[in-house]
Amino acid sequence: MKRFTMITLLLVSALFYNAKAQDATVNEKLTEVNDKVTGLTERLATDEADLSKLTKIKVSGYIQAQYQSFDSPSAVPNNAFSIRRARVKFTYEATDGIKFVLQPDFAPAGLSVKDAYVVLNDRWTKSFSLTAGKFNRPNYEVEYSSSQREMVERSALIRALYPGERAIGAKLEFNPQNLPLHLQIALLNGGEGYTVKKIDGTVIYDGTKENTDYDKYKDIMVRATYNLSLGSFGGLDLGAHGYFGSIRANSTKLMSSDYKTITDIKVGDAMKKNWVGAEFQLFADILGGMSLKGEYIAGKNISAVGFNQIDAVAAVAAVAEVKDANGVVTTKGVPAVAEVKAVPGAVNVQNYFSGYYLYFIKNLGKKNQFAFRYDYYDPNTKISGKDISGKDVVAFNADKKLNWTPKSAGKGDLATSTFGFAFHHYFDDNLRITLAYDMVKYEKVSAAGVVKDSYTANDGKSGTLDYNNTLKNNTITLRIQAKF
Amino acid sequence: MKKMKSLNIRNFAIIVVLLGMVGFAFAPAADRITVKGSDTMVILAQKWAEVYMKSNPNAAIQVTGGGSGVGISALINGATDIANASRKMKPTEKEKLKARYNTLGVEVACAKDGITVYLHPSNKVKELSIKQLSEIFKGNIKNWKEVGGADAEIKLYGRENSSGTYVFFQENVVKGDYAPSCQTLPGTAAVVNAVKKDPNAIGYGGAAYAEGIEICKVKKDDNSPAYLATAETIKNNEYPITRYLFMYLRNKPTGAMKSYIDWILSPEGQKLVIEMGYFPVK
Repeated sequence: MKRFTMITLLLVSALFYNAKAQDATVNEKLTEVNDKVTGLTERLATDEADLSKLTKIKVSGYIQAQYQSFDSPSAVPNNAFSIRRARVKFTYEATDGIKFVLQPDFAPAGLSVKDAYVVLNDRWTKSFSLTAGKFNRPNYEVEYSSSQREMVERSALIRALYPGERAIGAKLEFNPQNLPLHLQIALLNGGEGYTVKKIDGTVIYDGTKENTDYDKYKDIMVRATYNLSLGSFGGLDLGAHGYFGSIRANSTKLMSSDYKTITDIKVGDAMKKNWVGAEFQLFADILGGMSLKGEYIAGKNISAVGFNQIDAVAAVAAVAEVKDANGVVTTKGVPAVAEVKAVPGAVNVQNYFSGYYLYFIKNLGKKNQFAFRYDYYDPNTKISGKDISGKDVVAFNADKKLNWTPKSAGKGDLATSTFGFAFHHYFDDNLRITLAYDMVKYEKVSAAGVVKDSYTANDGKSGTLDYNNTLKNNTITLRIQAKF
Repeated sequence: MKKMKSLNIRNFAIIVVLLGMVGFAFAPAADRITVKGSDTMVILAQKWAEVYMKSNPNAAIQVTGGGSGVGISALINGATDIANASRKMKPTEKEKLKARYNTLGVEVACAKDGITVYLHPSNKVKELSIKQLSEIFKGNIKNWKEVGGADAEIKLYGRENSSGTYVFFQENVVKGDYAPSCQTLPGTAAVVNAVKKDPNAIGYGGAAYAEGIEICKVKKDDNSPAYLATAETIKNNEYPITRYLFMYLRNKPTGAMKSYIDWILSPEGQKLVIEMGYFPVK
């Protein structure tokens, strides 16, 4: 019995010891797990902090690859594959209200910076924002993204007035919280699109590449839009914009695009380029969504910045200095003067223009869209095609003694109209395929041979395009767009 | 050139023919309806779909959450037919819809909701004013004792920025930036769970999710009475954080979609709104 009691006691002690040992092990394990969880929580907090920085960077972009076929006999080649746009947009929202945007275009034609700007949003009323850098000029078609646009290119009018779409400057925007009004005012360099040359052809300023301004004059752009609700029918957006700018004169003549009115000005004077436009966009929920959009713009622009002529100087032979025996100069020496040939100058040209575009867009279900556009651009409203007769009636030839290059109306004064349509199929949000057809028509001139272009065709044969005839100038485009 | 040129006859004829072609293109009526968006509304939307499909066996309605912003993006991308949103569509979103579908969208107010402030049941604080809530969620009030509670640090829980509730609460209550310490959680249920477990927590979300936590009464200002979000206080506009819940469509509904929307707005659909803890639109 004593022996049994001893064994029982030993067993109980062993079990108790084992239970205590197990408790100690569980406690150790718990502490270990707790430490690990604490460590992981700290790491997670650090990772979350790092990740939140990354969420401030947004990367988007798109690539447009296309095949085009041109029916103009002068198009060489008459069909081609190309990368129209290959853009990546980086947006960094540093803090609430401050945004940086950088958008390079990697198209093979050459790397270019499309957008590079900073936006400061007013954090108090949330109604104002200030943009500084290189950004889209305030205009409906300019600001409408190329990845969303219903036609493959912008209208001729907008391409002529706002080449490259962007400008360097600063822009203040007002978007009141409780009013569907949007006001924009921008102060821009305004040199974009201009190429200014010296008399010998050297380029002084190339607006497509410059990072600064050509002159001291800054251009002002204003735009106002208002969104009207039409209830269940849809909505109507109305707007207007104006461009009020100048460019520095580089020669002493400013010629109007009537090719008759010539004004004497000084080099350095401001030559005005002012225009105004009105726009509308009507959206209607009819059979799945449609819109009608249009804009009309008219005014005066500077189509060419000239340079002054060089007057001829006759050569003068050198005369040697002669002294007498006492060393006194009896005949004063004269250095030789080299002959300078007269070089004609080029006038600055101010053109009066007008133009418009009209879109009709219809969505067909969720995946398809049809779009039509008619656009018209007349770069010179002072002269019509029939006025261009080749008989020097409207040629600038005044003041020949001052050696100015005669300038007469030509191809650059002809109006163009383009009728285009496009069909889009959206495979999903990222992929869109477009088939587009554009028919470009030039205004005809009064007689054969007055305005013509010589060309060498794809087959090596030479030919002439006569603007007295209807010229073939249609383009078919098949484009695939991948967007992310 | 001196006169603006008009369309020539050939171009005009082409336009007329093409317009005629597209004029007959009707937007196809949806056989299958997809609904995506607000997490606040997801349980209500699922209930609507479930009950509607029982009485309409041919209808196929698929409901997912993700947040109001996600739903509206899906509507713009064509990935959903209905976007549920616990906030109004932003002007930038409307612009995107205009650009892609040439419509301004259709807004259907389908229910009302009171954004509820969740507290742990052990919390001594039972009511807060909008100003106090703003200061708490901005991080300016950091301790419960500053609003009559215990001496303990306030733990903030909220929604992700894709959530309509996040936006609505920010615009109407916080009126500024949320404190960086506010922990964002994916869904109202997650906020409720977090508050349930943490005695010092405060969170916000839809009234329908408030289970197992204390609901905080809310005062418009210091001198106003405090109210709970109830059908009565919401109907009388007494509860200060009341909002409409919306369904957004690309176009005016037709066919199966119209039948479904009409049913949601009918007494039968609105009865489910009350059953699920929300408030009817009328």
